[in-house]
Amino acid sequence: MLLIADKVRHPFETPALRAMFAARKRVFVDLLKWDVPVIDDRYEIDQYDDEHAVYLILTDRDGRHLASARLLRTTHPHILDTLFPQLCASPPPRGSDTREITRFCLDRRLAAADRLEVRNRLVSALVEHALAAGITTYTGVAEMGWLQQILAFGWRCRPLGLPRRIGGRMLGALRIDIDADTPPLLAASGVGRAVRPATEPALQAA
Amino acid sequence: MASFERAESFLREISLIRSETDLAGALGEVTREMGFHHFALSHHVDVRETAETAIRLHNYPDDWVDYYDRNRLGVSDPVHRASHVTSVGFAWSELPRLIALTPGDHEILARAVAKGIGDGFTIPAHVPGESNGSCSFANPAGIVVPEDALPSAQLVGAFAFEAARRLWRVRAGDREPLPRLTDRQRECIIWVGRGKSDWEISRILGVKEDTVARHVKMARERYGVGKRSFVAIHALFEGSISFHDIFRR
Repeated sequence: MLLIADKVRHPFETPALRAMFAARKRVFVDLLKWDVPVIDDRYEIDQYDDEHAVYLILTDRDGRHLASARLLRTTHPHILDTLFPQLCASPPPRGSDTREITRFCLDRRLAAADRLEVRNRLVSALVEHALAAGITTYTGVAEMGWLQQILAFGWRCRPLGLPRRIGGRMLGALRIDIDADTPPLLAASGVGRAVRPATEPALQAA
Repeated sequence: MASFERAESFLREISLIRSETDLAGALGEVTREMGFHHFALSHHVDVRETAETAIRLHNYPDDWVDYYDRNRLGVSDPVHRASHVTSVGFAWSELPRLIALTPGDHEILARAVAKGIGDGFTIPAHVPGESNGSCSFANPAGIVVPEDALPSAQLVGAFAFEAARRLWRVRAGDREPLPRLTDRQRECIIWVGRGKSDWEISRILGVKEDTVARHVKMARERYGVGKRSFVAIHALFEGSISFHDIFRR
């Protein structure tokens, strides 16, 4: 199930959010060893997790976290303009139709084949969300291995600057242009999936 | 930022390309502009795939390519092996840091030097569920790898590989996709990867030994291989199971 969480006032206001922050800690801190803040030894939550962030969360039927991503407004401080401006040859794309994708997170519980399926659903959900919300451009920072996968999703990507080694990781910044052609591009590369957000508030609270 | 602009103009060019010849032409040009003589873009060939579907595009010297193919270096090539342990571009001088080089590897590298491939920079290109690949830029011995071009080389390599994937996907056309492993087959193959016998797996999963034997047989047939250990290696290679699946628990 896909949940879209908006205007979040408290990181734990729903079980899905709480599960997502815990999953993020297991992936970005425990596995990838990123130097990011951890709350209560269990939740990865930083200064960008505020009421301006939008979260896309995929859960299984029992409401357990499968995958999630955080979208930051580029009209507010975000990762590319505050932490990694050196990855952009020109000022990073900014505007009400431009969102930065951050914390793309696949739960560590997933086995290899399930990971790909869940990843494909989350990528499709990001595109559907963009089309529904009037977002025409996504930006993002990625390590080179992940960047190669992002290109392989089939959507239109452009680099924003040359990759650089920062804090021991080789990072690159990308922009992804989204329009009506994007879903067929995802489908052609085998990534496209039909994903509909849950609209029932009761389900969101479940 | 001149080098980024050069990379950008290459990326604009390849976004319009519809043929392998044009991609090779554009890649050859940007290769020279970056200060390299040669490029090689390839899948580290999957033994199951025919030459039809595995990406291969290069302008390496012919006699090196002949030697390479005769000795089936596509998979054992030390540069390819090293590219499996990192996702970041590396200079070949870093090979000993990445993998343990055998006497055979040293011989291959020495032969490459003799055939005009001395030093280079390789960008790994791994797409889960597909054969590993890479894009290399190389120079004859004595011509240094241009340090300041490496960030653009990294970008050019990543995007060129993706451009090639799209061309080859079109070429592969409506080729019948291989059937996927079922969940039960996957589970059995993970235990095979851990060295368990059919009987042991049957106890672990709480099913009959015959049932396990059948799942393993179906998986062997899927990859067209006779040995059970080879099934696990194939499944790892194409990403149907991961090292994490085998080592966890």
